[in-house]
Amino acid sequence: MQARRIPKILSFESIMWLFMRISGLAMYVFALTGLTIALIMGARTQMDMGTLLRWTFFPIGTHVTSSDILVLEQWINPFWTIMQYLTIVFATMHGTNGLRMVLEDYMDAGWGVHVLRGLLLIIWLFMLLVAFNLIQTTGAV
Amino acid sequence: MQVTLKVYRYNPEKDKKPHYDTFTLEADPTERVLDLMERIKGLQDGTLTFRRSCAHGVCGSDAMRINGVNRLACKTLVQDVGKKITVEPILGLPVIKDMIVDMEPFFENYRSVMPYFVNNDPPPNGERLQSPEERERFDDTTKCILCAACTTSCPSFWANGKYVGPSAIVNAHRFIFDSRDQAAKERLEILAGQFGVYRCRTIFNCTLACPREIQITKAIGEIKEAIATGNLD
Repeated sequence: MQARRIPKILSFESIMWLFMRISGLAMYVFALTGLTIALIMGARTQMDMGTLLRWTFFPIGTHVTSSDILVLEQWINPFWTIMQYLTIVFATMHGTNGLRMVLEDYMDAGWGVHVLRGLLLIIWLFMLLVAFNLIQTTGAV
Repeated sequence: MQVTLKVYRYNPEKDKKPHYDTFTLEADPTERVLDLMERIKGLQDGTLTFRRSCAHGVCGSDAMRINGVNRLACKTLVQDVGKKITVEPILGLPVIKDMIVDMEPFFENYRSVMPYFVNNDPPPNGERLQSPEERERFDDTTKCILCAACTTSCPSFWANGKYVGPSAIVNAHRFIFDSRDQAAKERLEILAGQFGVYRCRTIFNCTLACPREIQITKAIGEIKEAIATGNLD
């Protein structure tokens, strides 16, 4: 029996479908990494629960400086900066694409969908801009 | 046993909006809901309107919502749905009259996935041969009778009728995995588009609704896999 094959099909929908699964899993990995390492670094005794959770979902310097932690070097360094960028990009893209899917579930194809899609893109870029600015201004000790 | 049948009624020439009529009749537990509707139409209210043809679960004409679940009236026994039965048209398609819905949007989606055999090679002297294993690959999806029970049980289709829907995907699957067919790529490109398989949220309503017990969600998953890998085996 001869194997039947065709070239892989890459459409926007198929790429985003895959991205939603990967980014969903990645967010678990980022959050658990942030939580675990924070606990190892002393968050149990030097952070309250609220601060720890804020750090878990966005490991940025401001969440540390508002706690009782005195030695900041291990909390604010390039590793966490990369984690911040990845968390923000994956989370906002995941959320924005989810909104796009809801939008397209309920609206017929037409100019209205294009306008709202464009608006979503602008909101997403704005969120990235604000977050990147935050990371840049608080990412160093 | 005495059975109460609450029936969705809508006559566009008389009614401003739909309403329900209730009929009471004697029935055997092993009678089918279709038998009760035939009896109402014949003896109580001749204006009751519904589709039926073979009445044996093959033609797919009498798909309707019975006690909230999409079923074929000709395959649903009274003993399986109880003494109080509510009958409504399938959801997501415009109601023309009573149980009759406009199937055209459904068939438009069906036609969009090229549900026919494509092979541009010159016809052989005999048949186009296929091994039993190759035939088995798409056996499940050959069972579709186009009753629309699956598509009209799908919230993605209710929300947006442009989604091709489970039934069209099942019928695309039937040809995509047929070793004699040559248009799998074209079909998969259609299904990889905005209103193709990625509108499926895998909630399995279609699989539960199918009167032919086709594993529809599995078929949709196999198509997603074929799009991602290019493997048609």
